[in-house]
Amino acid sequence: MSKAYMGKILMVDLSSQTMNEETIPDRVYEQYLSGMGLGAYILYNRIPAGADPLGPDNILGFCSGLLTGTGSLFSGRWTLVGKSPLTGGWGDANCGGTFSPAIKHSGYDAIFFKGISPKPVYLYVKNGKTLLKDASDLWGMDAVETEEKLKKQYGEKAGVAVIGPAGEKVSLISGVCTDKGRIAARSGLGAVMGVKKLKAVVLDGVQRIQVQDPKEMKSLSLKCIKWTNFPMPLSLLPGVGLALMGTFMGTTPVMFAQDGLLYKTILRTWGTGGMNQMSVEMGDSPLKNWDGSSKDFPLGKSKTINPDIIRKAEIVKYHCYSCPLGCGGICATKGKYSHTHKPEYESILALGGLCMNEDLDSVFYLNELLNRAGMDTISAGATAAFAIECYEKGILTKEDTDGLELKWGNAEDVVALIRKMVNREGIGDILADGSKVAAAKIGRGAEECTVHAGGQEPAMHDGRNDPGFNVHYSVEPTPGRHTIGAHLYYEMFQLWKRVKGLPRPSLLFMKGSKYKVNKEKAQASAACSKFMSMGNGAGMCMFGLFIGAKRVPTFDWLNAATGWKFTPEEYMTTGERIQTLKQAFNVKHGIKPKNNFISRRAQGHPPQKEGANRGRSVDVEKLAADYWEQFGWDRTTGIPKEETLKRLGIE
Amino acid sequence: MSYTITEKCNGCGACMRLCPADAISGEKKNLHTINADLCIECGACGRVCPQASILDGNGIACTMIKRSEWSKPEITVETCIACGICVDACPVGCLAMSERPRNKGVDAFPYLKNAKACIGCGFCCQECPTDAIIMNKPEKTEATTKAKESA
Repeated sequence: MSKAYMGKILMVDLSSQTMNEETIPDRVYEQYLSGMGLGAYILYNRIPAGADPLGPDNILGFCSGLLTGTGSLFSGRWTLVGKSPLTGGWGDANCGGTFSPAIKHSGYDAIFFKGISPKPVYLYVKNGKTLLKDASDLWGMDAVETEEKLKKQYGEKAGVAVIGPAGEKVSLISGVCTDKGRIAARSGLGAVMGVKKLKAVVLDGVQRIQVQDPKEMKSLSLKCIKWTNFPMPLSLLPGVGLALMGTFMGTTPVMFAQDGLLYKTILRTWGTGGMNQMSVEMGDSPLKNWDGSSKDFPLGKSKTINPDIIRKAEIVKYHCYSCPLGCGGICATKGKYSHTHKPEYESILALGGLCMNEDLDSVFYLNELLNRAGMDTISAGATAAFAIECYEKGILTKEDTDGLELKWGNAEDVVALIRKMVNREGIGDILADGSKVAAAKIGRGAEECTVHAGGQEPAMHDGRNDPGFNVHYSVEPTPGRHTIGAHLYYEMFQLWKRVKGLPRPSLLFMKGSKYKVNKEKAQASAACSKFMSMGNGAGMCMFGLFIGAKRVPTFDWLNAATGWKFTPEEYMTTGERIQTLKQAFNVKHGIKPKNNFISRRAQGHPPQKEGANRGRSVDVEKLAADYWEQFGWDRTTGIPKEETLKRLGIE
Repeated sequence: MSYTITEKCNGCGACMRLCPADAISGEKKNLHTINADLCIECGACGRVCPQASILDGNGIACTMIKRSEWSKPEITVETCIACGICVDACPVGCLAMSERPRNKGVDAFPYLKNAKACIGCGFCCQECPTDAIIMNKPEKTEATTKAKESA
């Protein structure tokens, strides 16, 4: 069989310590692809309604992408799926590194775990052998130590995914770590792995991934490399030049549509952190727990997170599997840890700007600390910012915080607080489950200081600057997610060049027009969701997709790899099917889509009085209704209609 | 198509010890067999079998080659895009990415970290998207050809 997928999954029952290999029919791949789509298909059908996310009925899945290992590029992403203990609904987390091909080399497209093991174990798969091994000596070790120990035993080639102490301690904002610091962090799925007493998954197989038309795959990839190597003068600019561009973009009333080649160059030169100061200036980064503006964190303060400083610490670029770009990096750091993965934009701004923390060394340290603990940097930073606001408003006192002075910009105490969260000590025990759970425990009006969507802290992109973010934070089956759609993303995906019937955005437009509610906006948002759901099924990296749908030939790769002859429109329908299935999962588990709307503060109610987003507010309610209508979901409730499920073939 | 073993096999076990997919089984001095589900067609068994008892996927008998003459990957760093596909494709893990970039570059590059482990399958070469890898017989033969050229 040479169809890019392995055609099999492994179902591990941890309660009975048994394993079962299952063959998946071709039609499932044709309808849902692999990766997130296959995960959604299995979880929707097999997790009973109302199952406790931390109970034995929840299923945790490690899913590789359909295009992973097929000779395509940007296709090294895997998706961790499960019912989220953080939001109570559909949960997924996406991660790069080298684990995605390791899943396929072990002979499976995905590996699922149900039940709860009586004692700590890890799964070891090699050449047809599957074993659950005792992990009591690994329990308590951090993610990097565990990986190093397992690789020493099984060789560097083995793919290793582990949880750190945060997952073991069932922190609802913990994730799963691979490659010593790449982490599938969102949706709190590390807690699910922790409660299942599954410390690690070690995949050491060598099965080959066959494709239908290897020649065509190669020729498509070569064309794609031309675009990823496309020279842009931007890379010669110093980091501060980007910041000034941001200042300009923050003040000008006119905007131009952006081409992904610009962002590609930033990623190549600096990584995601290239956007640090630029985002603060243009109003893209939330500051001071979403209460501050670019005026509170001017260039004089943000200069410490100038991307050039971070680039200086970089020893070598880090590429995920099959990535020609290499936005990651390995950095040398001062202090306890000698190396760290280059902190990503999200981590820097969550631990930096959101807490008004200007100390870059503390960000580097916390980045490594959280990676080792296996805790989500976005949620950890956002929860720390929430705690600081509570302290500043007198909701938390020095007694509550065990003597910590939680003031804006107090780097030392932010570090101490996050250490407590990782270890679940004192106040850290309350905060280790994210801001919504913490606010409920603290009471005294702390809820007012939280910014979340359906229980999950949104990422560091302000929906008051790009209303598209607010739409997706609010309407996605995984609320608070920034890696699916936005006004900006739609411009960069350039889907209208491949998919018929999609609106082409104007090259030059007034900023105010972004906030108007109309059909075009809903079409664009829906297209982003469909495209990313499809992309996550294929295992594609969003940054690759940003380069443009015509330049990075996802649809053509899929056809060449599988031998299918689907049109781009049909692939968009596949994305629609995956998205609708995830929404149906949420409905099955009692989620009311309306309750997932992002907190009013982040919607711009009331609007900010100064800074780049002054006077801006977003009508999420209206935008959501239009978005739901695009999918054939009920306009008022967001529940997929019977006829929609029937049209997409969802039972 | 999987490789197969013919009756000529004398059960020496050389192929079984070398197979990176653990696809070969058999008792010592008895006929060995290849599990078609596990075989990845790397061809190592065919190159090592002293009895020429191994048939490739097309049913053609493989000939034994001295291990020192098995071809090995040579990597052109200039056209490499550091995507890591070759390192992942290697079934024995003999390739690795460098820990530091080369000269003034920023990217790591793949290199043959453990030449002894290389089984000469050529998967790295086949899967490289930029054709930056070629399979060549190791230095010894090269050195002799160079010596010939200069002479």
